[in-house]
Amino acid sequence: MDIDDILASVDRGAGASAESAAMDHQLLTRFWVAERAVSEVLPWPTVLMDRMMDRVRMQIESIEDLAASSADVPTNNTHNPNLNLRLSILQTDLARTQYLIRSLLRQRLAKLTKYSMHYLVKLSGNKNPLSQSQSQSQSQSQATPSDSVPDLSTVTDFTPLSENEANFVHSHQNLLAGHYSGSFMEAFPRQLRRLDDNAGGTSMIQGPDTKESVFVRCLAGEVPVIVVGDEGEEDIGVTMRMGDVWVVRWEGIKSAWEKGEVELL
Amino acid sequence: MAFPLPRGITPSEIAFLAEMEMVTVVPRQRLEGLELLGGPVEPLVPPRPSTPREYYPPAWLHPDPLSLILEVESQHQDYKNAFSPPLPLPGQPSIRDNGLAPKARPQYTPDGDRYFPSPPFLPQNTAQMTISSRDPPALPFHWVEIGNMLLEAASDDLVEADQVRRLLKDLREIRLSKMRAGVDALDAAAVGGGGVALTGVGAMEVGEERGFLSGVVDNLRKIGASKEQARREQMAEQRANGGYNGTQDEEEEEDYMEF
Repeated sequence: MDIDDILASVDRGAGASAESAAMDHQLLTRFWVAERAVSEVLPWPTVLMDRMMDRVRMQIESIEDLAASSADVPTNNTHNPNLNLRLSILQTDLARTQYLIRSLLRQRLAKLTKYSMHYLVKLSGNKNPLSQSQSQSQSQSQATPSDSVPDLSTVTDFTPLSENEANFVHSHQNLLAGHYSGSFMEAFPRQLRRLDDNAGGTSMIQGPDTKESVFVRCLAGEVPVIVVGDEGEEDIGVTMRMGDVWVVRWEGIKSAWEKGEVELL
Repeated sequence: MAFPLPRGITPSEIAFLAEMEMVTVVPRQRLEGLELLGGPVEPLVPPRPSTPREYYPPAWLHPDPLSLILEVESQHQDYKNAFSPPLPLPGQPSIRDNGLAPKARPQYTPDGDRYFPSPPFLPQNTAQMTISSRDPPALPFHWVEIGNMLLEAASDDLVEADQVRRLLKDLREIRLSKMRAGVDALDAAAVGGGGVALTGVGAMEVGEERGFLSGVVDNLRKIGASKEQARREQMAEQRANGGYNGTQDEEEEEDYMEF
C-alpha cells in the first residue's frame, strides 16, 4: 500500500475500512433480525447505517467500473477469464445486503405507520425543555384533527427514529388527519375531533406492546430477566445462562439487548 | 401496507440467514480475493494435486454423531422433555467440563460496543481437517437448513448421505413432537420475569413454532393479567411493610420447566 492508497482510503468516508466490513455485516444482520422480532421501533443505529450506506454506494461504483471494463474489451477474455464470475458474486452479495436494508426499513415504516401517533408524541417529548411552554396554550382551540398532531419543528433529538423517519411519520400523520377531517370528522362536535383524546382515562393512542414474548439467546455469561411493573419498579426473575435460548417478555430483556448481551432470534 | 410479513423472521428469511453460514470450499480454479459487503474473501487457489489433503464433513453431519444425538433425544432420561444441548458458543464450556464458569469473549464493534459472535457467524459447519472426538456431538443452530443444503449441494462429500438424510428426518420429527408436547410449560413465560427455556432449539424450529408459541404465551398473559396485577400489588405491600423477602419470590419464579 503506498501513500495514495492511504489518502484514498481516508477520502472514501466512514465505510472504507475492510476490516470492519464483516463486523458491520454481522451487526446489520443481527439488528435486522431484532427489528423483525419485536413490535416497537428499535433505536436507529445511525453510525452503523451511515457506514453501511457508504459501503453499498462504493460497492455499486466498483461493480459499475468492473462491468464497464469488461464492456470495453469484449474479445479480450484471456485477460481476465473470471470477470463474469466475479461480477455475479459481487452483485449477489450486493443484492443480499440491499435486501437486508430494504427489509429493515420497510419493517420500521410498517411499525411507524401503525403506531404513528405514539411515536409523534414520544418525539415531541424529546424536545428541549426551553421550548415546551408554547405547545400547551393552543389546546383549547381544537378545530381540526390535524391540530392534535404534535409539532416536530423544535425537536432535535429523533431517538429512536432517524430524522428521515421522523419527517415521514409527521407528514404521514398530517395527511391522515386531513383525510379523517375531510371524510368524517368535520361532522363531529368540536371536542371530539382530537386524535389523541384521553377522555375517561383511556388514551386512544395505540402504542407497541412491550410485554410481547420474544425468542432470545443469552450471549453473555449470565443475564437476568427483569420484571417491569407499572411504576417501573424492577425485580429480577429467572436467570439465563450463556448459550441458552428462552421465550421471555421483550420488556424483561430489553436493557440486556441494548448492551448486546442477548440476541433476538 | 408497507410490510406484510408477521412479527419475527419467517422460514424463508431464516433460510436466508442460514446462507450466511460459513462452509469450506476447495477451489477447482483460481479466483482473486474479493471485497464483499459481507467481509473480504481470500483469493481462491486450487490445491496442488501432488499434495492431496483430506477433508471431513462438519463434525455433526455424519451418521455416527447423528445417531448418537438421536439416541440421546429419544432415550436419555434427562432429555425426555428437552432438546439435546447445542454447540457451545466461543468461551462456553462444553458439556464434558460442566461446572466451569462460562467466559464470554466479546469482540468490539467499530463504535466500541461489546459484540458476542453467534450463529450464523461461527465456523460451525466448516469441513474438518481431522476427526476429533473430544467434544460430544451437538447440532448447530441452523442444522435443518445447513443439513439440507449440504445434502443437496455436496452429498458426494458426505459419509453415507442417505443415512444422514434419514437421521436428520428422524431427528426433526422427534424434536417437533417435543416442541408440541411442551405447551404446558408455556404458562411460565406468561408471567413477568418468567420464561421458558428452549435451549438447543434450531433456527427453523423456532421459525415454525413462533406464531403458535408466542400466540399461546401472549394470550395466557392477557388471561392472567389481573392475577399478575394482584400479585404485584401484594408484593408492593410487602415491600412497604419492610418485610419483603426477595428469595421467597424468586423461588416462585424459578419453577419453570424445560422443554
